[in-house]
Amino acid sequence: MTSLALLEAAARPAGPTWLRLFRIALRDLRGGVKRLLVLVLSVTLGVAAITAVGALTDALEAGFERQGRQLLGGDLDISRIHERVPMAVAAVLAAKGRTGEVATLRAMVRNPQGRDGAGQALVELKAVDGAYPLLGEVMLADGRPLQQVIEGGARAVVDPLLLERLGLEVGDRVLLGEVEVELAATLVSEPDKLSGQASYGPRLLISLATLGRSGLAGAGSLVRWHQRLLLPRGENLDALELQAIGTGLRKSFPAAGLNVADRREPVPGARQAVERFSQFLTLVGLTSLLIGGLGIANAVTAYLDRKRKVIATMRALGATSSDVLKIYAIETSLLVLPGIAAGLAIGLGVPSLIGASLGAALPIGLEPRIGIGTVLLGITYGLLVAALFVLWPLGRIEEVRGAVLFRDELAGESRLPRWPYLAATIAALALLVGVALATSSDHRLTLYVIAGVGGVLALFLGLGWSLQRLAGAVPRPRRAELAIALRNIAGPGSLARLTSLSLGLGLGILVTVALVDRSLMSELGSGLQGKAPSYYLLDIGRRQIDELSRRIAAEAPGSRLSTAPMLRGRLVALDGRPVEEIEAPEEAQWVLRGDRGLTFAADPPTGSTIVAGAWWAPDHAGEPLVSFDAELAGQLGLEVGSTLVVNVLGRNVTARIANLRTVEWEELAINFVMIFSPNTLAAAPYNFLATLTYDTPPTVAAEGRLMQGLVNAFPNVTAIRVKDAIEAVNGIIERVLMAIRLASGVTLLAGAIVLAGALATAEQRRTYQAVVLRVLGAQRRQILLSHLAEYALIASAVAFAAITVGTAAAYAITSWVMDVGFVFDWRAVAQSLALALALMLIFGLRGTSRVLKARPMSHLENE
Amino acid sequence: MDTSNWARGMSAHEPIIRLDQVRLTLQSRAGPVEVLRGIDLAVAAASSVGVVGPSGSGKSSLLMVIAGLERPTSGRVMVAGQAYDGLGEDALARLRGQSIGIVFQSFHLVPTMTAIENVALPLELKRHREPFVVARRALEDVGLGHRADHFPAELSGGEQQRVAIARAVAPEPRVLLADEPTGNLDARTGGEVIRLLFDLRARLGMTLLLVTHDASLARRTERRITVGDGLIVADERIEATA
Repeated sequence: MTSLALLEAAARPAGPTWLRLFRIALRDLRGGVKRLLVLVLSVTLGVAAITAVGALTDALEAGFERQGRQLLGGDLDISRIHERVPMAVAAVLAAKGRTGEVATLRAMVRNPQGRDGAGQALVELKAVDGAYPLLGEVMLADGRPLQQVIEGGARAVVDPLLLERLGLEVGDRVLLGEVEVELAATLVSEPDKLSGQASYGPRLLISLATLGRSGLAGAGSLVRWHQRLLLPRGENLDALELQAIGTGLRKSFPAAGLNVADRREPVPGARQAVERFSQFLTLVGLTSLLIGGLGIANAVTAYLDRKRKVIATMRALGATSSDVLKIYAIETSLLVLPGIAAGLAIGLGVPSLIGASLGAALPIGLEPRIGIGTVLLGITYGLLVAALFVLWPLGRIEEVRGAVLFRDELAGESRLPRWPYLAATIAALALLVGVALATSSDHRLTLYVIAGVGGVLALFLGLGWSLQRLAGAVPRPRRAELAIALRNIAGPGSLARLTSLSLGLGLGILVTVALVDRSLMSELGSGLQGKAPSYYLLDIGRRQIDELSRRIAAEAPGSRLSTAPMLRGRLVALDGRPVEEIEAPEEAQWVLRGDRGLTFAADPPTGSTIVAGAWWAPDHAGEPLVSFDAELAGQLGLEVGSTLVVNVLGRNVTARIANLRTVEWEELAINFVMIFSPNTLAAAPYNFLATLTYDTPPTVAAEGRLMQGLVNAFPNVTAIRVKDAIEAVNGIIERVLMAIRLASGVTLLAGAIVLAGALATAEQRRTYQAVVLRVLGAQRRQILLSHLAEYALIASAVAFAAITVGTAAAYAITSWVMDVGFVFDWRAVAQSLALALALMLIFGLRGTSRVLKARPMSHLENE
Repeated sequence: MDTSNWARGMSAHEPIIRLDQVRLTLQSRAGPVEVLRGIDLAVAAASSVGVVGPSGSGKSSLLMVIAGLERPTSGRVMVAGQAYDGLGEDALARLRGQSIGIVFQSFHLVPTMTAIENVALPLELKRHREPFVVARRALEDVGLGHRADHFPAELSGGEQQRVAIARAVAPEPRVLLADEPTGNLDARTGGEVIRLLFDLRARLGMTLLLVTHDASLARRTERRITVGDGLIVADERIEATA
């Protein structure tokens, strides 16, 4: 060949075909899959976590979509508090399809024969007309149709839990308000169970006629009246058409104070809450994928280090750097792609698994489906994280030259790959952040989480580095085992950095969750004792309040009763702008949605501090005035002098903000976002709300007797035990924390996989070291002890750092985000320390046992 | 197999390997080490040259420079009519794929590939149309046709080196560089391998540059160069060749 021909050959752009390189890669990968298993597992776990969260959200949303009509009890639900939905509205609805009326409220039932606390119970009462249910079926234990049971007489269908609480049986009678009701059948299921509010008691189903006779739905009572509409072609009705009906009704009856819900969102705010929570959990999933990425990088680096001579051989045989790079990129992809596929399969299977195992216990049936968005997100995150952690080690392939075959490199190698790889790595990171932001509706939360995770990872990297330096700097201990342990921590190939990075974050999150949980529970439980009331008493009639006060003063001398008039109403406009048009920050949106409790007072309530403006004169008789919660006012852009319109009992009331108050909500005392001047609402029909607070807790029997006496004397009054209410809230918080705990568990599992991988890649070096030590006279026990000391030192340092970070995070979250008192818990600390030690020792000692079993001869020959 | 120089487009008198004042200084933690200190060398096409010298004299480094695996610090290298100046790593890799075969002391077979896959590897990298047909023939040439599907770990040291030789000659390079090819073998096996190497060279008309510390082995070549302390200290023609 002439030099020209050679130059042409050298300049030829095309090398071996991709197919050939693919075949070479397959051959080169033989036996290597085991070494790269950590890569597969890390990708699988991370993608599975992200996909599972997405798939669960999809299944929940599909559940809402498919079961929305049933959960809502129709296509449209028009409701308002205190008063029935106006006839005119009902007439409009009736012209569109089948309608039905339902009333829901909380009430007390009394067992005439009950003694000492077993005599009364709070129930979630639902009164229905003859059309109920418009959709689905109410299942009764005796198989009879509902209407047959409750029609025409004072009969009720009851949750078996109530029978248990009151010690009653089917056929027994209870007092409900002023009527005696026969508990005629037990309830198995009702189709529209979710559409109510938080549940504080068992269900009692009666007819509207029975409700009327009970006297519980009098003026000012906290009854929510619903008109439901089932459209003839509801299933096929366009979402916009559905929305238009609701909007049209609101416009036609602006002063009616109507609350409109349609089948697309049967539980108001639930979809938003699910979406936000799922975004948060996706980020936690992404964190576990990122931690897994450390394992990916470590495994690929170790793999390529072992392949240095093979790479050099390929180079000597004529492979260009691009050929070699392609071969190893193919090999990596061959493992990443199945990892992603497995992760997707597992993640998509999670809703079915949860549905099958929890099924009936779930409030809503999951409808598993394959969401394209979820699948794409899983694939995108998997690929981006793999690229982020693989490009760097792959880029260093270029440094491997054929000369490696003749001699080890004399000069130290540069650790950074060339700039295109660095640029691609940075691009992958930027894309990752971009995708996280683009798929999140709460950019601030996403940025906080990303910055937090980045910061904490940097912190733990720093810890690993410092640990390594510290181990090298301390004076050599006399005990050989400890000296070897410190050398291992300080020396090349140290486990300190990777362990710190892989376990630190997961442990940190676990400590944070544990401490936040502890602080919340402490606040909600013991923290409230002494200041918080024991009972809320609802629906006390205006004429009953004095007598009730007297009775409590006489029968429960160690207690305090605080009372306030209460109505419910919804905000219609702020400063002349309809609330529908106001884009409020998320934390303030609840005030604009649905009904709020309203009150009026001549004096500022206890637990409140006026921070702007002034309270009105007790006998104020001019323009209606209102006192507004200061924090919410800030979020809604309201100030002293702003006006607001509330709809109370179908009437729009305009009031001017006279002052702003800070409210100590945590004390659970009676307080309201809006307190009006008495002249504004005193003419409206209202009832009283009261709290009963014991200075010294009474015996259970005494408390039971008092409540039974009260309920018997005031049948329309509802008593909610604060402890039960807190337990209901605790239940929700516990479930949320459990999900976060589970997600952080996945992060920790990812860390454990990384740790296992790190120990596996270090095994050869450690085996050689152990063999040399044994040749030099070390006993197995000494080697074992040196490993134990090394693992324990690293695990303890990481655990203590995680505890510190976790405690700081928990303190910040409880103090600044949740506004509850921080409580430190030694159990969380011990748990984290034990977990770190256990993981490190389990994985470490597994490797150590193999190291100790190694035959010195074979290893010395190989070296 | 056409092996004439004419057919390859080069004059028989033009050296196929040419080094002018080649110096190689490597950096170590203790400072720079002068490995080659001004080598001038011309090797005629289709000839065989033995390179001898004590350990650390620079023999293997000389081979690496000729193979394009190491860049000289100064001086000029030209192999098969191609000057190395200005060629990047990848162009050098392609040149090796086209014109240079290398046999190593430690064989350097890819452990995850069978014998035939190892031999086919350089052919696949240069987009040969039938890499496995040629590889099988090359393996038969070295007497290992029956071991084609065995992995390196299933072969003896001598067999592994024969596979390595088959891999080096299969792409029909014009220059065959061998670095202590018998260094890891016992005397009898080493003798067999050397016989094979010289037979193939004679049959294929390749230029052979053989680095060895075994003087008797070097005597089988047509020319013997002695390297000492980074310089060529002796250059002799040998009458009786193998």
